[in-house]
Amino acid sequence: MAHLGSTNESYGIIAQAFHWLVAAFVLVQLALGLYAASLPVSLARLQWLSRHKSLGLAILALMILRLGWRSINRPPALPDSMPHWERRAAATTHWLLYVLLVLAPISGWLHASAAGLSVNWFGLVQVPDLLPKNPELSDLFKQTHRICVALLALLLVGHVGAALRHAVALRDGVLHRILPWEA
Amino acid sequence: MMLRAVVLLAASASLPASAEECYRVDGHNGSVSFEVKQAGAPFRGKFHRFGGEFCLSERRATRIDVWLDPATVEAGLPEIDAALKDRDFFAVDQYPRIVYTSHSVEARGSTLLAHGVLEIKGKRHDLDVPFSLQRERDNPIVSGTLTLNRLAYGIGIGEWSNTKWLSGEVNVEFRAVLSAK
Repeated sequence: MAHLGSTNESYGIIAQAFHWLVAAFVLVQLALGLYAASLPVSLARLQWLSRHKSLGLAILALMILRLGWRSINRPPALPDSMPHWERRAAATTHWLLYVLLVLAPISGWLHASAAGLSVNWFGLVQVPDLLPKNPELSDLFKQTHRICVALLALLLVGHVGAALRHAVALRDGVLHRILPWEA
Repeated sequence: MMLRAVVLLAASASLPASAEECYRVDGHNGSVSFEVKQAGAPFRGKFHRFGGEFCLSERRATRIDVWLDPATVEAGLPEIDAALKDRDFFAVDQYPRIVYTSHSVEARGSTLLAHGVLEIKGKRHDLDVPFSLQRERDNPIVSGTLTLNRLAYGIGIGEWSNTKWLSGEVNVEFRAVLSAK
């Protein structure tokens, strides 16, 4: 049965929705960012980067809501069969993912602000700049953004790999806790 | 300066029609900036080199002949500045100067209105520029704002003529101190 909040056995539908929405947005966001960054200064680069910035802010907003929800809605427990170091690794990875999913959009927003390329969210709302134009800071935040994204990509490989290991090799039901359908 | 003003006043009393004093636009003391919208958000830049001549008669502007060097554009990121100097925008190699020349200046209350011609990238269009002239200290200060349609001057051609992503309207703000020649 679907339930809003998480139980001891599985995540609730709100946590699941946050997880899969952010997952889908982040995959699209990585593709948008990498593609836009490969383009020379052009109208296409302006268009794709604008969409990238708008989607990044959407991810940031979702992450803030998601962390708020997580703080009042504890995730299900891990199976007793998992060794201590695996629990530690899982917890560390999850928290690093949360941190990077907040830092990546913020560093991108800082970079755009310092570059003087402010954001108008999907052509609907003018978003304030976080700091005034400054070429040196713009470069610094661009590097920060890249490092955040590179770490995020690495952690995502580990996250997906571990989930598949739980589902295929261990068959311990850990992956199924986040799936919206019954195992 | 004081003596000069007295001489000018004396001259203007006897020869009102020709009592013109011309000033140099001080390129180190002022600013010319612009704002355009990229993807709906304001994008600002400025030009570092500009100059020209400004003539006043009986404390009123009579002749304006100013220029700016588009190769000194600075909008933040080096790659964007390079694109602005390139063919699609200012084509600075081919058109190293933007020029505005007035043919008359009209007083409208506390502000002045210059009627003249603006030339960018070889395209000349009539342009009225409202401005104010302050004389707080020794040197007069000229300032004002205007809105241009960049497409009329071929600034941002080809794919950049898409005004949904790069607004056609460009707001320009200028301020310059005039110094005696």
